[in-house]
Amino acid sequence: MRTRMNFGLFRDKPGPRNGRSVAIAGAGPSGLSAAGYLACRGYAVTVYDKMPKPGGLLYFGIPDFRLPVERTEAAAELLAANYGVAFRMRTKIVGQPGEARDEGDEFRTEELLLTDLRAAHDAVILCTGSWRSRRMGIPGEELPEVLSGLEYLFPLRGAVCGPEACVSPALGRKVVVIGGGLSAMDAAQCALRSGAERVTMLYRRTIDEAPAGPYEIGLLQDCGMIWKELAMPLRILGREHVEGVEFLQCALGEPDESGRRCPLPQDGSNQILEADMVISAVGELPTLPLAERLEVSKVRKGASPWPRMTMMEGVFVAGDALTGPSKIGWAITGGLEAARSLEQWLNHTQGGR
Amino acid sequence: MANDNPVGAQRTKWVDYSRCIGCESCEAICKFLYGLPRIQMTESDEGLAFPLYCHHCEHPMCAKACPVGAIEKDEATGAVYHDPARCRGCKAMKCMQACPFGAIYHAGGVVPVTKCDLCRDRARVGLGPACMEICPCEAIHFVTREELLNLKTREASTAQKLVMKQIRQMRGQK
Repeated sequence: MRTRMNFGLFRDKPGPRNGRSVAIAGAGPSGLSAAGYLACRGYAVTVYDKMPKPGGLLYFGIPDFRLPVERTEAAAELLAANYGVAFRMRTKIVGQPGEARDEGDEFRTEELLLTDLRAAHDAVILCTGSWRSRRMGIPGEELPEVLSGLEYLFPLRGAVCGPEACVSPALGRKVVVIGGGLSAMDAAQCALRSGAERVTMLYRRTIDEAPAGPYEIGLLQDCGMIWKELAMPLRILGREHVEGVEFLQCALGEPDESGRRCPLPQDGSNQILEADMVISAVGELPTLPLAERLEVSKVRKGASPWPRMTMMEGVFVAGDALTGPSKIGWAITGGLEAARSLEQWLNHTQGGR
Repeated sequence: MANDNPVGAQRTKWVDYSRCIGCESCEAICKFLYGLPRIQMTESDEGLAFPLYCHHCEHPMCAKACPVGAIEKDEATGAVYHDPARCRGCKAMKCMQACPFGAIYHAGGVVPVTKCDLCRDRARVGLGPACMEICPCEAIHFVTREELLNLKTREASTAQKLVMKQIRQMRGQK
């Protein structure tokens, strides 16, 4: 018997309408969880997302040898068909027109102001994720064959999303992946599968500190990936195209604020690695419209006026937009908790309809 | 119900560890619904993350170990239920030690332990186990023991062995 993924798992059909409407920005796991919960509680739910398909990173960030992409697709379809959730794709919620660009923005055809969205609904949940790639800040990063983890992984869904999805030729022969997290692993595995001659991963600490852990890294080494630890990139070499990566060998120092021992680059240990493509998967930062007004750090500290509500009244936040990149499970918890908190807030302020 | 093999027709939960990516969605939904999750993540030293869960065994060791009969197998559905009304003040927590899958959890309250009941309240209104519905990788199945035989691929068995080795280590066995 085949099972299906169902974000509206609380009931077999939507709850009796309660007359309230909620907008959710972001159709990733936290947004879809919140949508499913609220639809089951009788809310009219509209989900906005800048990408052409719902699913967020489940669809666009995680390769389908890890997650069956049709399962995510079917889950969103089920929310629409069975639970009455409305989806507005290719629509980005922004603080003001022409805000800073994030990864994936090229897919949007429409922008809506958060203030307008708030005015049109009883409440809003922002599940806008972490779509700004952290940069290494080293020379040569602007070369065309240097891609972020997300930039590299997007084109792999290109076939289903139309020609604009193929922002870069996702092919390199000698690929260097920088990072030690799960996106770095996904990128390395995709590179191996797309026929790269040699895939090397550079990480500045050791395998024991790597967020992906020795188990995942071991699996990739079994597939032929070369693991170079204690390697800190210094510059990317090449005039018009990537020709190599220069890095310094490090030693481990005292634990830093993350609790992991920090890498100390050793003078004169410069080495050069030949490369024609570099994938920098060194993390992503939360992307929120009107970030300075929302003051999400207060939500993180539990210092917000209502649990999971931002400093903008009736605007809630959940998922990677709140926590930074994390596990799908945390995003689901966040979406559900924000939805429940929103419901309690509306009951409180509107007198429990 | 007419069936030659009533045990084979009982439905149980099964996790295909070869498909699991350790994303914690199962634990998240269980926690949201029940406060204390009844399917819980653990991680090996090497960083292999996987959920521990009740297999609703045919011959449940936890039921046998419980001194007050608070854990029973429902022969009609095959589910192994824990009765919090009967489970009181036991300091030995023999059920936790007895479970080979590490699937009985410390609750730390008046009722000292908790375990999966295959979402009994949801089943009453025709809904399946929540963890199965939220799993993004189609790793969690709710199937009859007969159907289960077809799901056990070679990859699944290999992954299962790895996980069992880890569970034995955690339980301090070789």
